[in-house]
Amino acid sequence: MSMATLTIMSIPTNNMAGILTYDFVLHAVEAALLASITCGFIGAYIVARRMVFISGGITHASFGGIGLGYFLGINPIFGAAIFSILSAFGIRLVSKQTDIREDSAIGILWSFGMAVGIIFIYLTPGYAPNLMSYLFGSILTVTPTDLTLMAILAAVTVAIFTLFYRTILFISFDEEYARSHNAPVETFNYLMLTLVALVIVINIRVAGIILVISYLTIPQSTANLFVNDLKKIIILSMIISFAGSITGLFLSYYWNIPSGATIIFVFVLIFMIARAIVFMRNIRQRNNPVSD
Amino acid sequence: MNKLIQLENVTAGYDNGIVLRDVSISVSDQDFIGVIGPNGGGKTTLIKLILGLIKPVSGTIQRFDDQQGSFIGYLPQQSHIDRKFPITVQDIVLSGLMSAGTTFNRYSAADKKQALDLLGQMGIGHLARRTAGELSGGQLQRVFICRALISSPKLLILDEPNTFVDNRFEHEMYELLQQFNQKMAIMIISHDVGTISYFVKTIACVNTYLHYHPSNIITEEQLAGYNCPLQIITHGDVPHTVLQKHDHSFDHEHGHTHHHEHTHE
Repeated sequence: MSMATLTIMSIPTNNMAGILTYDFVLHAVEAALLASITCGFIGAYIVARRMVFISGGITHASFGGIGLGYFLGINPIFGAAIFSILSAFGIRLVSKQTDIREDSAIGILWSFGMAVGIIFIYLTPGYAPNLMSYLFGSILTVTPTDLTLMAILAAVTVAIFTLFYRTILFISFDEEYARSHNAPVETFNYLMLTLVALVIVINIRVAGIILVISYLTIPQSTANLFVNDLKKIIILSMIISFAGSITGLFLSYYWNIPSGATIIFVFVLIFMIARAIVFMRNIRQRNNPVSD
Repeated sequence: MNKLIQLENVTAGYDNGIVLRDVSISVSDQDFIGVIGPNGGGKTTLIKLILGLIKPVSGTIQRFDDQQGSFIGYLPQQSHIDRKFPITVQDIVLSGLMSAGTTFNRYSAADKKQALDLLGQMGIGHLARRTAGELSGGQLQRVFICRALISSPKLLILDEPNTFVDNRFEHEMYELLQQFNQKMAIMIISHDVGTISYFVKTIACVNTYLHYHPSNIITEEQLAGYNCPLQIITHGDVPHTVLQKHDHSFDHEHGHTHHHEHTHE
């Protein structure tokens, strides 16, 4: 796998260096900004609710929709959107209504989606040239259509969090308590699952199926090292995410290596530096204890 | 005495079996009821029925809710809470104001001040900006009591409030509860019969069936008669009722003669 991965990933970048124009850079920067906004909100939500694994399942299940999209000749993003929403609801319903446990349901849908995707792509006549950009992302080839979809989703996400921030926070923190207060718990759980699924699918263009989960978890975990309030995690993770994306883009161009993987590498680097800073700070505090 | 809640012949349970059988109890506005009983006896199920979180298999539950302000404030057991969830203490307290009608609402300066005042009353006003994970179990418990109180409910339900509370605060907490009882009914679930019997007015023993004991003095013999296998424990620091000793020969004085099987160890 790793050898094949390396060869495949180096193809787009080699071409990229030659065709790099101002428009591509601008589009990539816009895409990085929009991805940082949507992933800042949704990533903070899934990290806070410990939904990272279910999000991984949704991400991979959506590959089935990409395959179906190719097979039917429609935009694979729409196929992926349908698959990801259905799998998100499916995981929840199956684990609530049957005796299948949630993590097992995730494992089943995760692999099933990938399998369906591969079968459909195999059955599709001709070669599917953009397939690898769905697996590993390609922020440098986002189209104006992708950017429009990303902008609409960013606007919807901002609107939902602005209007319902407290309700989302309270339901996430203590679902049973929210239920005892007649809060619309199920409505919100499904609304948020839909949003999680859509944000994942839209950002597959930027980061790819394999890497999208890093946009949703690494900047948030980094932010969580310094701040401990959902609202602050959202804002700080957006900043980290955007800064990391731009740094990653620059390095990938400079060293001629794949952009998606470079961005993730930078994210992890920022996380490790942040963790080291916190570690040093804690040691200093232990040596010079300050009273409350 | 206005009735708040009335359960009549309620039977309830989950997929794996019946937990409560033929339970009847009513709660009125001055009540301070201690709910005792063994683990798995159905105490929490009783609370979930009252909260409307589960529906009875048979029997009726009436709520006499005049829709003036909030009806029930609830302090759940802490076991299901994610202590690392990124939420501030003040926000936890404010979440007690959540209802079906407040989905869009933001919280006013008055709401925030009330949250701070309550935290101050509980002696943890200085922790308002901290997050859940930075607090001790006892401090977090106080935060949850504030959350249950902020809506000025007519009925306050506390599920094992003393589990995480340090001894120093325990007595203080019960005294605060007695103050709150002037304004609201209270139901308190506890293993600790000895401690709560000093503070509560009446006792409900739940072990599949419910036996209502209309005073706060209860003896081990009576508990045995109720098929309520609990030991009465008394604690040093906390004032407690000195329980009367009865002659072991007497039996079923209160006429509770349910013939159900002994399910406990």
